[in-house]
Amino acid sequence: MIETKKQVENLFRYEYGKIIGVLINKFGPSNLERIEDAVQDALLKAMQVWGYKNLPENPTSWLYRVATNNLIDVLRRDKKMLLAADDKTNLTENHISIPEIVLESIISDSQLKMIFACCHPSLSVDYQIILSLKLIGGFGNKEIAKALLKKEDSVAKSYTRAKKMLKSNITTLDIPIEIGLQSRLSIVLRVIYLLFSEGYASSTGSEIIKRDICLESIRLALMLSENEYCNRPNVNALLALMCFHTSRFEARVNEDGELVDLEHQDRTKYDNNLIAIGIEHLENASKAVLEPSNYHLEAAVSYYHCIAKTFELTDWNSILNLYNLQLKRQYSPVVQLNRIVPYYKVNGPKKAMGKLLEFEGSAYFKVSALYYAIKAELLLQLGIKEETLVALKNAVDQTENDMEKNHFLKKMVQLRTEMM
Amino acid sequence: MSNFLFLFRGGDAARRNQTPEEMQAEMQKWGAWMGGLKEKGQLVDGLPLAKEGNVVKKGGEVITDGPFAEGSEVVGGYLIVTSNDQKGAVEISKGCPIFEHGGNVEVRQIMSMDM
Repeated sequence: MIETKKQVENLFRYEYGKIIGVLINKFGPSNLERIEDAVQDALLKAMQVWGYKNLPENPTSWLYRVATNNLIDVLRRDKKMLLAADDKTNLTENHISIPEIVLESIISDSQLKMIFACCHPSLSVDYQIILSLKLIGGFGNKEIAKALLKKEDSVAKSYTRAKKMLKSNITTLDIPIEIGLQSRLSIVLRVIYLLFSEGYASSTGSEIIKRDICLESIRLALMLSENEYCNRPNVNALLALMCFHTSRFEARVNEDGELVDLEHQDRTKYDNNLIAIGIEHLENASKAVLEPSNYHLEAAVSYYHCIAKTFELTDWNSILNLYNLQLKRQYSPVVQLNRIVPYYKVNGPKKAMGKLLEFEGSAYFKVSALYYAIKAELLLQLGIKEETLVALKNAVDQTENDMEKNHFLKKMVQLRTEMM
Repeated sequence: MSNFLFLFRGGDAARRNQTPEEMQAEMQKWGAWMGGLKEKGQLVDGLPLAKEGNVVKKGGEVITDGPFAEGSEVVGGYLIVTSNDQKGAVEISKGCPIFEHGGNVEVRQIMSMDM
């Protein structure tokens, strides 16, 4: 019983996803609800038995056995009731005793297939994200609601709709073959990236669960990188990007739950282990790559931030170059806006202000809190304090994020005190 | 010192709706509680009970599936602890995680030969 304290964090959550994947792979997405019930019951049983005694030697095969038994019982019962004539699943076949090593490979195979199923192009982005969180990550509606600041029953409703779509669009789990792989893979990467962004975004949602969502996104990408066909440079670039960002997770919010900007982060809080893993993947990503993807460029920017000893010592020249490259590849107003920051660090606030004013009046920037935040910073550097306050006020008005709102408000209070 | 039987009842409905993370957290609470009892030398034995079962009546003439009583009535598990008296045993039961889900503990002294 003492050992239970040492057990792996998130064990139940991971096991849930693993067993769900194996059973969907075996019995088909049409049995999704039955499978969810069977796995839920297996975990319930585990909770009761393992709470009394220690964990079994191999929790996964214990759960797999119990869940499969549960499912087969239900399928048999339903089969009797429906008298289904052409049932393709042979329920008498021995599903139960699988050697551990075989089970391991079945799990990784089905998890990979689940990633492609949950990120199927026929599903909307919202559905792709919720299905990935629920069916691969093992997150509950409650946790998703807490992290993404949604109501629990609206998460439940959208999950029900997502499942319906999944079942009607996907009948068997597959990994796309060579020809279709690249395009499907890039959709999968985009979903993982969005999933990651949901977790990383600064919001008042539960920090613990949001961090778990970030780590889950990394885990999904790692699974792709471990497959020889999916281990492409852009997968590694995305992995590097997520590792670098996540390494700063603890530093971006202080003890009082307030946002801390890059300049004021305590860099001793950066997770060096994750940075090292990120560097490794960035190196892998650079091998045999003809043209870097956006993930490459974004990962490289994040890399320079991670390794800088202080904000002032950041290699702003390299970062500016990366933004230039990114803009040359593909115009994006967000990238253009973000580019102002390294531009200012390299060329000074006056020139940067000139650049920024070029966007003045554009519909996109008029409603962007980031635009006003950057403007405030430049005005402050130029010593124009009254207008800094106006820009900060605009930033407050434009953001719907409470954490950002408080961050800007705090800056306003500080500035007003200085001006008195 | 006497032995006492704890019968755990109820809380099943709330448990069924738990997420995997919550289930793990609850399991860890039970483990920690029982681990504490073990360290203090108060724990004698205990196991959970399966949901399924039968109720046998009239010498086997009537066998029903069950218990299938109301959810709050079904015994989900038992524990045997040692304590000086009934009061002490009740005190021990207060630390049980079952109360978080609306379940209850029945505390009964186990009769011994030398009473």
